Amino acid sequence: MSEKQLLKGNIAIAKAALNCGCSCYFGYPITPQTEIGEFLSLEMQERNLAYVCAESEIGAINMALGAASTGAKVMTSSSSCAVSLMQEALSYACSDELPIVLVNVMRAGPGQGYIFPSQGDYNQSTIGGGNGDYKIIVLSPSNVQECIELTYKAFYLAQKYRNPVILLADGLLGQMAEPAKLFDNPYPNIDNTSWILNGSNGRKSRSIHSLEPSQLKLNQHIFNLHKKYQAIEQNEVDYEEYLCDDADIIITSFGSLARHSKAVCNHYREKGIKMGLFRPKTLYPFPYKRLNELSKKTKLFIDIEMNLGQMLRDVRLSILSNAQVSFIGKPVGDWLKKEELINAIDNIAKEQYASI
Amino acid sequence: MQVFSTPKTIKENSSFTFCPGCDHGVALKLVAMVLDELNLQEQTIAVASSGCSVLLYDFLDVDCIESPHGRACAVATGIKRAHKAQGNNKFVFTYQGDGDFASIGISESLHSALRGENITAICINNTNYGMTGGQMGPTSTLGQITSTSPLGRNKEYHGFPIKTAEHIALCDGASFSARVALYDVKNIINAKNTIKKAFEYQKEGLGFSFVEILSSCPTNWKLSPQDSHKKIEEELSKTYKLGIFKDIKNE
Repeated sequence: MSEKQLLKGNIAIAKAALNCGCSCYFGYPITPQTEIGEFLSLEMQERNLAYVCAESEIGAINMALGAASTGAKVMTSSSSCAVSLMQEALSYACSDELPIVLVNVMRAGPGQGYIFPSQGDYNQSTIGGGNGDYKIIVLSPSNVQECIELTYKAFYLAQKYRNPVILLADGLLGQMAEPAKLFDNPYPNIDNTSWILNGSNGRKSRSIHSLEPSQLKLNQHIFNLHKKYQAIEQNEVDYEEYLCDDADIIITSFGSLARHSKAVCNHYREKGIKMGLFRPKTLYPFPYKRLNELSKKTKLFIDIEMNLGQMLRDVRLSILSNAQVSFIGKPVGDWLKKEELINAIDNIAKEQYASI
Repeated sequence: MQVFSTPKTIKENSSFTFCPGCDHGVALKLVAMVLDELNLQEQTIAVASSGCSVLLYDFLDVDCIESPHGRACAVATGIKRAHKAQGNNKFVFTYQGDGDFASIGISESLHSALRGENITAICINNTNYGMTGGQMGPTSTLGQITSTSPLGRNKEYHGFPIKTAEHIALCDGASFSARVALYDVKNIINAKNTIKKAFEYQKEGLGFSFVEILSSCPTNWKLSPQDSHKKIEEELSKTYKLGIFKDIKNE
């Protein structure tokens, strides 16, 4: 297990899920994530685990909802336009406090778009398309190694907070193979015996439901959920800082695109320009506080995304009027290359600082 | 003299909140009696759905989860399979309305039957959306006046109703599919025996078992409870024939 091997992102996610005890997978095919379901189909059947080729993504996420109520570690995977179909059940799962891991390997939208990579589901993931006051933890890997690490973390956080977690990968990450180490799951199992549905043998019967006809009780339930989200925001913010300490310019970027952003930083550092990269690994909870601290000593932030400015909103909410914020983005397709980014940044910088 | 007591699986001191004369109460009591008789209470997970059937967990003393509207069979699939993967054989049934099972949820329902999921679905067919005030549903009969078919259901304008139990019977994965009614004692006893058979088929691991129950909705039909039962006996059970449409043991 300790040796590095050449792994595709989708396969890495599937292997990590199996490694940490995922016993239920429900899915429906959609490119570019289909290998996750294909890989798990044989592995899970051979282990007598639960695997259903669901009739639709609606079927898949609702099977996940039921399976999660038994305390099992449950995963479904899909992509963008099909994740749209799951929004109803995600809202239920939040109210029901059910741990579900949803892997979204993003493709291009809106609508059917195409199978090109994109980061267009930042809003769908972090804000959500379901109804009501709910939050979903969103983890953003930037390489295949992190696909493994964050899959483990997704299962752990889902169980710890009894809340759905989205692992937000993208088509590039899902389809790309690179060396990664499939280490053992580092997280403990969470005791769930106080709430799972396994028959009322020897105890009072339980119910899990979101319907609540009492205004008082429904308000209380939502306040309780809110408190949980506050705890998540307090405890689980995760990010990577690269050369940010002395930076005059900080790039903000998430997911696999952040790797190009890092290369851009190196390019400017070689030219003596103090540039750093700030990469949120949790898109919810977003690292508002740390980014706000950095904004007090940094002149310019450049947000780079493979969409037309979705994380940009959270970046601006962090930085407020402390520093200038510029944006470079492209909605779909070939990732913005280092050279393209340097060209765009040179243009931004020329407007801001005559010295570059 | 036989004295009837509340089934063990009905929660103590609970009182049904259904409209006066509604058959939901009778149907739920039958379900509870059968769970008692088969000694299933402590190994059951029930799946409630949206509509009048949603408050199942207020009345039945079993573990219970509410499903999003129409998705009960998918949720039940997840529960049954997840327990099986953990080495446990639990008893899982859904309790749904006809709108839930046969309209918004027909994909989840039919595919669960096709896959032969080893679960049981109980579908209360009262030919309208009761909770929202009696709109036209998938089972509203031709000519039926509802709040959204004020001139009566018209086959050219609205299309045809669905015969759910017959559709389920066509699924290779279904072990049992039947339609029963509750308009008199004879039918109530038959309904109970039919539910029992459906539950037993799941216990035996035979695959998807299904019971459609023709039920009265006096409030939205704008009829007295007695006239509602008369309507089921004289009209509805002619359109929706009572009987067993699939029995894997008799094939």
